[in-house]
Amino acid sequence: MFDTSIKLALTLSQIGAVMGVVLLTVAVLTLLERKVLSWMQDRMGPMEVGPYGVLQPVADGLKLFFKEDIIPAGANKIMFSLAPILVLVPALIGFAVIPFGPNWTIDVMGVEFKPFVISDINIGVLYILAFASIGAYGVILGGWASNSKYSLLGGLRSAAQLISYELNVGLAIVGVLLLAGSLSLVEITEAQAGGFWNWFAFDPVPFPQFIAFVIFLIASVAETNRLPFDLPEAESELVAGFFTEYSGMRFAFFFMAEYANMILVSCMSTVLFFGGWHAPLPFLQAPGMFAWVTGIFWFTAKVYFFLFLFFWIRATLPRLRYDQLMRFGWKVLLPIALGNIVVTSVLAYIFPN
Amino acid sequence: MHRVLETLHERFPEAVVSVGEDPQRGDLSAQVRAQDLVDVARFLHDDPGMAFDHITDICSADYPDDLERFEVIYHFLSLPHNSRIRLKARLPEDNPTIGSVTPIWKGANFLEREVYDLMGITFEGHPDLRRILLPEDYEEGYPLRKDFPTEGKGWRSTFDFIPRLDEPESEWTEREIPQDQRHVFLAGDQPETAKRTTELLLNMGPQHPSTHGVLRVVLELDGERVAKAIPDMGYLHRGVEKLAEGLHYMQVVPHTDRLDYVCAMTNNYAYVRAVEKLVGVTIPERAEYIRTIVAEVQRIVGHLFWLGTQALDIGAMTVFFWTFREREVLLDFFEQLCGARLTLNYFRIGGVDGDLTPALVDRLREFLKTFPEHVQEYDTLLQRNRIWVARTKNVAVISAEDAINFGLTGPTLRGSGVAYDVRKTEPYGVYDRVEWDVPVGKGGDTYDRYWIRVEEMKQSARIIEQCLDQLPEGPIVADMPKVIPPAKPNVMRDMESLIHHFIIFTQGFKPPKGETYCATEVPKGELGFFLISDGSPRPYRMKIRSPSFVHMGAFDFMARGYLISDIITIFGTYDIVMGECDR
Repeated sequence: MFDTSIKLALTLSQIGAVMGVVLLTVAVLTLLERKVLSWMQDRMGPMEVGPYGVLQPVADGLKLFFKEDIIPAGANKIMFSLAPILVLVPALIGFAVIPFGPNWTIDVMGVEFKPFVISDINIGVLYILAFASIGAYGVILGGWASNSKYSLLGGLRSAAQLISYELNVGLAIVGVLLLAGSLSLVEITEAQAGGFWNWFAFDPVPFPQFIAFVIFLIASVAETNRLPFDLPEAESELVAGFFTEYSGMRFAFFFMAEYANMILVSCMSTVLFFGGWHAPLPFLQAPGMFAWVTGIFWFTAKVYFFLFLFFWIRATLPRLRYDQLMRFGWKVLLPIALGNIVVTSVLAYIFPN
Repeated sequence: MHRVLETLHERFPEAVVSVGEDPQRGDLSAQVRAQDLVDVARFLHDDPGMAFDHITDICSADYPDDLERFEVIYHFLSLPHNSRIRLKARLPEDNPTIGSVTPIWKGANFLEREVYDLMGITFEGHPDLRRILLPEDYEEGYPLRKDFPTEGKGWRSTFDFIPRLDEPESEWTEREIPQDQRHVFLAGDQPETAKRTTELLLNMGPQHPSTHGVLRVVLELDGERVAKAIPDMGYLHRGVEKLAEGLHYMQVVPHTDRLDYVCAMTNNYAYVRAVEKLVGVTIPERAEYIRTIVAEVQRIVGHLFWLGTQALDIGAMTVFFWTFREREVLLDFFEQLCGARLTLNYFRIGGVDGDLTPALVDRLREFLKTFPEHVQEYDTLLQRNRIWVARTKNVAVISAEDAINFGLTGPTLRGSGVAYDVRKTEPYGVYDRVEWDVPVGKGGDTYDRYWIRVEEMKQSARIIEQCLDQLPEGPIVADMPKVIPPAKPNVMRDMESLIHHFIIFTQGFKPPKGETYCATEVPKGELGFFLISDGSPRPYRMKIRSPSFVHMGAFDFMARGYLISDIITIFGTYDIVMGECDR
């Protein structure tokens, strides 16, 4: 009984910390995205709230919080309210299996406790993919329940898009799973220890997963509905797509979910292909007690690099068309991903580690 | 007599009532019996010696005192022979009906609807004769008729603009538009397949992020594919043509700023040119150069704006902000030149308002130095971008034949491979004194039109550079005391100038009786002003041939079979500005 309560308290505090960091990052990202975009576009970005506009996320949050919450006439009220929750929760829940730092086990009053991962389950990858699929339901429901044609079209687009690109995400990961021999994200990270040449994206033996990484990255951009794959919410065509009719906090939920998803896929790219918390060169890693400091630093740096990449892509590329998106997903990405699996498995058989 | 008129007279001795050739302005016109108009028009279109393949405009005039009250006026253009002709037909008041030329020129569809809407003339055989600029339930009659008061008949006062707060909340009911109101938006000829059970009508606009103003389009969709796209315009209709009838010729100039507000000066230019052609004013050399320079700067501004918005519509956000960076420099230039940034009112009848000072010349030269680099930057982002190419190549393809038949002009026509540019075919300003090329596309798709506009920006820069080099000294306003207000210092000094000043500003000048059509190449296409003068200081009738309006006539034709995403691209590819489209 005592053990259980300790475990509960530890886990809850861990969840609290992770959620806090993630939501804070979401807030930072909303500002960072606008700043990065404006630097690339020769303008200032938000400048009014606080010095250099740093308090803009607070102002945005307050504004959204106090906005009137409108449910359109003829909307299915239950589904309409459920949809934002269905989108946000899966986006946040995925962080439960992400290892942020070294795989340590501490003994706290007789209870085994891993400080840098909430739950090291042996099907971590599957768990994230499964919850990502549930997020798609939220988008489709939100589009359908709004009783608006634009929302409906957005919802339909995202249904098709998420299903097609989820497949590519899954297939891109298979190569990594073959090499690591595990579905646990902790073990996948452990398998990449010792320098960047051991990271799965670059590891030359048996086969570098760089192609798989590119596929994963493209597909995850599509999964998060970001440019150039933001068709479900294409603002110039469908006004705002599936969340056209949403306002106030419900809208904020969709918004937060998009950013949380971005962070999640950045974390996944880091863990699966770029060695997680491992430093690129062994001497950049602090020894012993302080390994967690460099671990968390490298992890964060890699995640932010991918987030920056998201912004960068957004500033550079125009939007694809619906049929082009489908063709690209099924006729280009899918065959390459399948080929990668075949090559990887054959080479992994010939050169076992 | 001109060859065309001679042939017409011989061929239709009875139908052609009279022919006229204006020696001073070079306009050809023929008065035709109303019942034979379609035959004459068909002959003009089909006969290889005539080949009037391009429909420029259809308009109407009202003469309440005449026996046959209404006059329908057609403007045709022959691209192979580079000549224009004006056909006129008179209609009686009790039955104003005339045959439709829609079977000959598809572009006549919207133009005839406009005449029907504003003058109440019925076109027999028109496929879809509905109101176009005014609301469909407009009950006050036909505003361009002379007995219609400019301020309207009071319909407006029946609107309740402010919603009543004490009104009980209305119950939401499942309500669809009745079937008989839907049919205009439906393609009708779609085969009934098992998959297709009911059509989906999507109402795009008037409030939509990328319809470039208040434009509404009703799309009939089959999945995401467009089966029919019906534009609904007129949300920005101000009745400029009617307003002009109550203003002096000079007072109309600021109204033309508001037509195409993205490049206001080119509209000024088109209007003052029409008036100058009507009156017969010779412009001083320096003024001609300055006019050409600012018109080309405006073209660059207009194309930059177009490029930015088109890229934004397709999702390339950065290009939008980059083009606005350059546009900002030019707007600052205009601010220094004439004091305004958007509604630039710089052109005057007979010249321009202020001189192009050496400081401004330096400023322009500085801009021209960096401009090619900036265009290169857009190219790196777009020209070879796979997504951009995929989104624009083979989208909204229109063949040269169809484009001419629809009356398209400007880059939209040149994209289809027709090298028609008013600046080359009927040179004005100093376009014939500088070297420049007309870029022409091949495929008639959105990518070609994009390429042409980017190319045109480079050509404009070339023109400006040469004009700056050649810029002569001299006056900037013509010396024509009866028409053009004298210089302000003289007004205060000599009696004669004071009298002219007083007369021109109180009564306006009186052009000779007559009518003329004058076309100008603006960034959107051919902007034409047709003026009828009855010898009074106010235009009897002013018709604006706005390229955006004519281009929208081809929208349904070009949009069918493409996806919703392409609709946005097609809006962009016309470079429509609703202020000009709705007038």
